[in-house]
Amino acid sequence: MNMSTVAEFHEVCRDYRLGIWSRQSLRAVDAVSFTVQAGEVFGLLGPNRAGKTTLIKMLLSLCRPSAGQISRLGRPLHDRRTLGRIGYMHENHAFPKYLSARELLWGYGVLTVLPYETLRSRVEELLDRVGLLDRADHPLWQYSKGMVQRLGLAQALLSDPELLVLDEPTEGLDLSGRRLLREVVTGLRQRGKSVLLVSHVLSEVEQLCDRVAVLRQGKRVFLGTLDQLTVQGGRPLEQSLQELYEA
Amino acid sequence: MNLPAILLAIRWLIWETIRQSLATRIFWLMLGVSVLAMLFCASVGTVDLPRYPIGDTPERLPPNDPQARDPERVTRHGVDIINGQVTLLFGAVRINTTIYREEAIRWLQLVLAGGVADTLGLLLALIWTAAFLPGFLEPAAISVLLAKPVPRWSLLTGKYLGVLVFVLLQVGVFVVGTWLMLAVRTGVWEPRYLLCVPLLVMHFAIFFSFSCLLAVWTRSTIVCVVGSLAFWVLCWGINYGRHVAVIAVTEHAEAAVGASWALGMGYWILPKPFDLSYLLSQTLGASDYFPIASELQAVERLNSLSLGASVVSSLLFAVVMLILAGYEFLQAEY
Repeated sequence: MNMSTVAEFHEVCRDYRLGIWSRQSLRAVDAVSFTVQAGEVFGLLGPNRAGKTTLIKMLLSLCRPSAGQISRLGRPLHDRRTLGRIGYMHENHAFPKYLSARELLWGYGVLTVLPYETLRSRVEELLDRVGLLDRADHPLWQYSKGMVQRLGLAQALLSDPELLVLDEPTEGLDLSGRRLLREVVTGLRQRGKSVLLVSHVLSEVEQLCDRVAVLRQGKRVFLGTLDQLTVQGGRPLEQSLQELYEA
Repeated sequence: MNLPAILLAIRWLIWETIRQSLATRIFWLMLGVSVLAMLFCASVGTVDLPRYPIGDTPERLPPNDPQARDPERVTRHGVDIINGQVTLLFGAVRINTTIYREEAIRWLQLVLAGGVADTLGLLLALIWTAAFLPGFLEPAAISVLLAKPVPRWSLLTGKYLGVLVFVLLQVGVFVVGTWLMLAVRTGVWEPRYLLCVPLLVMHFAIFFSFSCLLAVWTRSTIVCVVGSLAFWVLCWGINYGRHVAVIAVTEHAEAAVGASWALGMGYWILPKPFDLSYLLSQTLGASDYFPIASELQAVERLNSLSLGASVVSSLLFAVVMLILAGYEFLQAEY
């Protein structure tokens, strides 16, 4: 593995049994291989049930691969310490609504094993960055969906991660929220950090991603740059993807 | 992962669980029950009336009465019966008693600890806290936490301990509050009553471990509520049934041998709520003053009851449940 590889999927498969007593299984991910390099924004594209979220879950040790190998920051999955250098923004946050944004960030920072001093400055900095400083002590049940998404982004950035994993991050975000997200992703790339982005919003993918992998029915059907996907920009991204999805 | 980091994570989860109890109003609901009990205790009073003599009735004396220790004197002259009143609801209800004031208050404490807290309180606590873990384990809620570097088991441990701390707070308020109220109102300072706090929390911890396993398996609040209540009833039945079967076998009932063996197996494997309640009443010294269940008397006579072994085996059951829950949580996929 290259030293600058932050995530590597090698011939990864994932099967789901169709029922507790059933011997039949569904292959959600089928021999997928790709790497995410340091300093790049990598897009994971595909129609619904293509296996994108399953790949992310396996990378984050939320579920295990049925076959193949995955490494995280050059270490095998069982080394949970590497999770401290990865940020994860879930598509549908279910944060405890009785906590305030400040309390939540403190708690998640503790679970990320950040030192007290780092955490103290980081929480305030991030609250300011995502525009929640003035509402930092309000309980989350008073927050709109967009504000919860901003908080989700803040908690993912707590450890100043080497790899930021974003699963449908713009869901519920308004225009300024989307701009903020783009700034965060661009800033991370400039600092040599990586982003793994799952999104259906093509404009976002076009603006942010250096390379993409396209999945269909659990299989990787494309891996390369956006230019390669759109034949040097000669075709709209939507058309290129549509052809891959329907091929 | 270093131990201090894990302990900090557990501490935060305990704090978060207390916040959850405050936000879901369960904290205030249980505190309300305690306040009601304290108000009731604040309404209790005692009136000591002159002792009046009555002959040939030593059996009516409390066993620790100094007069009853001299049987000859009792036979010759009779004894003075304690005469007084316990008033409830600020004197609205007056109960004539022929027992010491201390015993009347101990009887009240026994009702509060054994009846209100140990049975009703325990079952209500199991119901009201049943949603804590399933909600925490919802995929959308737990996914982000599982993507943090702290070990999975520490998340479950933190939440379990959080619920225990919450119950400890509530039990502490209930027991200390009612104790203080009764003591201030009646002048009876009975420190043994305070031992109810660890005993009640232990009783809850044992049954909540089963609820914890159900939560990890099913992530369903309904299953946790119904399952833990049904399990408590089952354990109580097996506990009581085992004692009855032991007595039956000893009295040469051949037919009871099989049932006794099966109930004995269940008895030693499962928690023992009947025995734990007996331990509580023994701690309060109830058997010095009030008759204990005939089944318990009989198994004690037969040397078939060891409260120490009951506690240890019940705690072992809880440990096994927590290990199973931890293992299941480690294996769970989201």
